[in-house]
Amino acid sequence: MSSAQLEIQLIACIVAVACAIPGTFLVLRKMAMISDAISHSILPGIVVGFFITQDLNSPLLILLAALTGIITVVLVEYIQKTGLVKEDTAIGLVFPALFSIGVILIAKNANDVHLDVDAVLLGELAFAPFDRLFINGTDVGPKSLWVVGTILLITITLLILFFKELKISTFDKGLAASLGLSPAIIHYGLMSVASVTTVGAFDAVGAILVVALMIAPAAAAYLLTTDLKKMLALAISFGIFSAILGYWVAHWLDASIAGSITTVLGFVFLMVYLFAPLKGIIAVMYREKQQRTEVSLLTFLLHLKNHDEVEERHVNHLNEHINWQKVRAKTVLDLALKNNMILIENNVVSLTKKGNDFTSKAIDYIITNEDAQIEDMKDDFFLFRG
Amino acid sequence: MNNHSVDKETPASTGKIAVKVDDLTVAYNYKPVLWDIDLEIPEGVLMAIVGPNGAGKSTLIKSILGILKPIAGSVSIYGKPYEKQRQLVAYVPQKGSVDWDFPTTALDVVMMGTYGSLGWIKRPGQKEKKASLEALEKVGMLSFKSRQISQLSGGQQQRIFLARALVQNASIYFMDEPFQGVDASTEIAIINILKALRKAGKTVIVVHHDLQTVPEYFDWVTFLNVKKIATGPVKDIFNDDNLTKTYGINYKVSIQE
Repeated sequence: MSSAQLEIQLIACIVAVACAIPGTFLVLRKMAMISDAISHSILPGIVVGFFITQDLNSPLLILLAALTGIITVVLVEYIQKTGLVKEDTAIGLVFPALFSIGVILIAKNANDVHLDVDAVLLGELAFAPFDRLFINGTDVGPKSLWVVGTILLITITLLILFFKELKISTFDKGLAASLGLSPAIIHYGLMSVASVTTVGAFDAVGAILVVALMIAPAAAAYLLTTDLKKMLALAISFGIFSAILGYWVAHWLDASIAGSITTVLGFVFLMVYLFAPLKGIIAVMYREKQQRTEVSLLTFLLHLKNHDEVEERHVNHLNEHINWQKVRAKTVLDLALKNNMILIENNVVSLTKKGNDFTSKAIDYIITNEDAQIEDMKDDFFLFRG
Repeated sequence: MNNHSVDKETPASTGKIAVKVDDLTVAYNYKPVLWDIDLEIPEGVLMAIVGPNGAGKSTLIKSILGILKPIAGSVSIYGKPYEKQRQLVAYVPQKGSVDWDFPTTALDVVMMGTYGSLGWIKRPGQKEKKASLEALEKVGMLSFKSRQISQLSGGQQQRIFLARALVQNASIYFMDEPFQGVDASTEIAIINILKALRKAGKTVIVVHHDLQTVPEYFDWVTFLNVKKIATGPVKDIFNDDNLTKTYGINYKVSIQE
């Protein structure tokens, strides 16, 4: 692996981590679309900054872009507050307006400089190692590595300092306000970080794909954990994984690095979406089926407990009495047998002691409205689940 | 209002005013939601705020707590502005105001109650954790401390919110519909805690919907419908006249003696 390859992967990883951190909070605040808006509307800020400094990595450019990002958020909130349009409409109005100003500025003035719409939209990570930073004539690495490194350092510092404030203002804005931990400061702080990160990521992945880096890792992490810190850690890991794998996919396919990274991100999310142990589609479907069978089982046991008459408990009449199809009746009967909850003698079903205990407890919980306890109880009684 | 007879459950009136609201007017988009509210809440009462939907009950609480900015008027907590008295006040928002799918545990939510006294940047430590566990125990939720909050029932979520307020160890508690969507056993558990708070000399202000339970649960009541209709001891002012003035139709309730 050449040093240029290493540098590209390092930049991609740093960008991915810097995006995953604000992205996690954007996802939790249901503000994913705001990152899309910011990533587009900071274009005029970048263009104006570029005209002044003639340098895509200048701090002034980053500041101006961050400022445009904040202006976007303020404008969206202002339009929304008038009550005339909804939030998503406000976003859809603001960012194309600002973005198009940026496009026109580029087209009118920047024909002869290294800044074109393609680069802004898609970025070009492959060129990053060529633009190097020299201190006293010594080559200290690619400029963009220093830019994104600085941004990441700031992001991590802010995250550590204000983790508690970010958490409370994301979960409960009203409480945060009443405790004097201004949610507005945190809100605009987060928006600033998102804007600055977006500018930093611009060079690497461009305006469109930066959204994927912010949202996809966080969205995947959200499906896997119920702990905010773990969610952050997972989002960061997915970001790094996708950055490195994406780079090599691009290498093998001889394709765009940014495009490959995003494709990997999409694939990672799809896998998690399907296979996440608790919230994944397959797990949910499996659980629903299991629950349906277990509810049927409970219904069946209740029926047995309620009826002493032999004719109500005869195997052949079960489907008439509980009005079930044969297959379902058989599944339930098998499950009850496997769990030693029923006995079948001469084709007449009766409850075992265990089945009786289980049913009595379940009735108690249903009467006292503590249905949730039934789930816990199942762990004690069931040898096999539905 | 100052010469009210003291009900035997109420601690002897200290004569102090816990919360004072002067000429408070709040508007959303120029439409007044609260109009020129004057209100004095004596220390040590367990007070219900009642009124129809849209009467501004939640708005009143949020304005007192500085969450909403009034267009006129002022609020004082023990004689000083709210910003200077945050430590004295705990707030239980409506349960529906937060996203219960948020990735966090019951204990963690209760710990958030300690963030106010910690202030910016400082992290909660062992002391805060211990206080939070105690609060969880008080609401009977200790065994659920590591449970993810979406895995809790509505009543359990409300208890978590209550524990979060208890951990603030405040003098004044504001609660926005704590009985909304909870089962009977949680309702009893909550009201017992509220009564215990009053017994300890705290002031508790509750936005309440169920008029039937007002005389049983509370000793003080404020009728609100954009304007303040009446405020005072339940046994003096909780009557058909005030209910009719507040709700606009003839109300008949039987007041338990």
